[in-house]
Amino acid sequence: MTMTQLPQDIKTGAMHESALLVKSRGVTKRFGGLLAVNNVDFDIPRGSIVSLIGPNGAGKTTFFNMITGFYTPTTGEISFDGIPIVQQRGKRVRSLKPHEVTALGIGRTFQNIRLFGTMSALDNVKVGINVHLKSHWWDSVIRTPGMLREERATVQECMKLLELVDLDNRAETWARNLPYGDQRRLEIARALATRPKLLLLDEPTAGMNSSETREMTSFIRRLRAELGLTVLLIEHDMRVVMNISDRVTVLDHGEVIAEGAPADVRADARVIEAYLGRGAAAEH
Amino acid sequence: MTAATDTATTDEIGSGIGGWLGYVGHTLGSMPGQYRVGLRQHRRRTIGLTILFVAIVLYPAVGHYVLADFSRNVIPIPFPDDTVSTFMAIFAIMAIGLNIVAGFAGLLDLGYVAFYAIGAYTAAFLASPHFGALGINLVFLGNVGPGAAGIHLPYWIIMIVAVVVVATFGALLGAPTLRLRGDYLAIVTLGFGEIVPLFFRNLSSVTFSLTLGPIVINIANANWTGGAQGINPIDPPFIPILNWVFDARSGPAAVYLGLFLLGVAILVARNLERSRIGRAWGALREDETAAEMMGVNTVRTKLLAFALGASFAGVAGSFQASYLGASTSDFFDFSISILVLIMVILGGIGNIWGAVLGAFALTYVDKTLLPYIGQRIGDIAPSLPNPAEYNFLIYGVILVLMMRFRPQGFLPSRQREAELSVHGLQEAEQEMGIEAEVDNISVAPPGQSEVGPGARDVEVPGEGRDL
Repeated sequence: MTMTQLPQDIKTGAMHESALLVKSRGVTKRFGGLLAVNNVDFDIPRGSIVSLIGPNGAGKTTFFNMITGFYTPTTGEISFDGIPIVQQRGKRVRSLKPHEVTALGIGRTFQNIRLFGTMSALDNVKVGINVHLKSHWWDSVIRTPGMLREERATVQECMKLLELVDLDNRAETWARNLPYGDQRRLEIARALATRPKLLLLDEPTAGMNSSETREMTSFIRRLRAELGLTVLLIEHDMRVVMNISDRVTVLDHGEVIAEGAPADVRADARVIEAYLGRGAAAEH
Repeated sequence: MTAATDTATTDEIGSGIGGWLGYVGHTLGSMPGQYRVGLRQHRRRTIGLTILFVAIVLYPAVGHYVLADFSRNVIPIPFPDDTVSTFMAIFAIMAIGLNIVAGFAGLLDLGYVAFYAIGAYTAAFLASPHFGALGINLVFLGNVGPGAAGIHLPYWIIMIVAVVVVATFGALLGAPTLRLRGDYLAIVTLGFGEIVPLFFRNLSSVTFSLTLGPIVINIANANWTGGAQGINPIDPPFIPILNWVFDARSGPAAVYLGLFLLGVAILVARNLERSRIGRAWGALREDETAAEMMGVNTVRTKLLAFALGASFAGVAGSFQASYLGASTSDFFDFSISILVLIMVILGGIGNIWGAVLGAFALTYVDKTLLPYIGQRIGDIAPSLPNPAEYNFLIYGVILVLMMRFRPQGFLPSRQREAELSVHGLQEAEQEMGIEAEVDNISVAPPGQSEVGPGARDVEVPGEGRDL
């Protein structure tokens, strides 16, 4: 991938007071009788790459969806960059709407790719930037100079992002016609267009071969280095997790069973048990 | 960066008639197998479209007198007269509006006629002697003498009022349907489309009294909407100093006004399509959840689609009422909603020019061709059925045939094209240097693929929200 200078405004701004970008306390989510996430305290230090791992059904994606405002937790609080996303007042839990969370600076990708299939790659990225555009629909109707300027700037910024993910020569191709790996990268470009401080990647290497996986891993590192992003990762590929993460949090049945540096988590008996069963843990 | 510059230039051809024609060419470039047309082909198409454009502009003024004589004296061909031509423009404006709701944003609206009716009655209320009977008189720049009974505002103000009123009702309809998708949305809008004309039909003797402290409202047997007779006469559009009147007797003048309004409608719709709101509509249509997560305010985006889409029907309705000089509830039948939807689908859902073409074609068939054939048949064999009375049967057959052989419509949008065409996939893959494996591409044959816009996301509410 080519190295590209990114526009200043999509780099994260000055460092804020707190070292923690995301702070969540006592987050619980019930779906009827199912306790998907149970009383999770989870922090993401600014500038780190944090992985959330666990067996299938452990509640990882549910937790993702609560950070992004898609689900409202049953109880608990989540704040992002000092701004509350989820607040609890007595029994009432209030959550920001997904688009408001996106505007605060959280971008995400999906476990199953969810691009806008019959829109061009460029338009997909443009949708991501939408939340930061200022022009109104009436500006578009009469095509005011300000709106045209904004559109030109949008095209430039989005093309830079497509260049970053090596898709600038596919700008006019419909998203659904791109090969799988390109679609994954396009999703990241679209998430980056929301100008995030925190990037949530839901299984970014799913379905990739080992060389593609390596490429994706180094790409995620580059995102942090060049854009100053904080990354939260859900990942099943342990090589990726151990290789890339500063911290790893392990969820099982909706609860945090281990947390810490990759090496420590790998040695944790409860983690081995959760993944391989009790017998394996004893042998270990 | 070449692609970026390219896009920037296509964005910049936006303004002026030249850009407009350029855009015509650009849009038509999305016909099957013609995504990447050479410059020559592009130019040829631009020339063709220019000729078409000139023909349409000249037609009301000179063409149809000559052609009508030709048709009368040489070979009998039915040509649309002024009234039909005006209605072509009116229906095209409506089709463009419905295309915004159903085509761009993917929200199936089966009650679009309601907005048409509201637009028409807005014009009827504000430019007729009707309210004189209720003791409300207001004449402002109207083309009646001062002291005339009822409210008389000039059409140009009424049109703006109608747009605002109808857009408000569009948003009002949109609000309770925000959580509905697919069929459910269609059913609610269908109800709205039935309720509104019924309101207009039945508010002919309103009686109620209301006491709010010092304010006492007493209404006894007030005729608000004229009931089944409707409201007439309605003042026609009028330009004072030039003394131009655009009514049913004005011949080509009204057609030109209709074409002018249509031109504005096309321009507005196109500008909306290629703006951030247009992209947000596209995202909403493709994947509502993903759009929400990417920062699209889905509530606002949907309401805007409903309101802006409806406002086109406000223009069409107010123009229709002013032009005909009457507004009756019979006119705003459910079948109009379906007719406009068929226009959009036939033309190619999601494509502005498709909507215009569909509207022109179907209005012509409905108001000129079928009556003409019926008359001919009546002359030759009076016992045979009159096709004009079976018009919806015929449209049904046309629609079925379209869905079987050309589901993307006459002028498909690039997106529908992609959804429905195996060729599109093949070509795109070849373009990427990948061997096209048609056998392995799981695209349903045209007849079995998603047909209407409603088929796009038929989901049970609640099931739609999962990741």
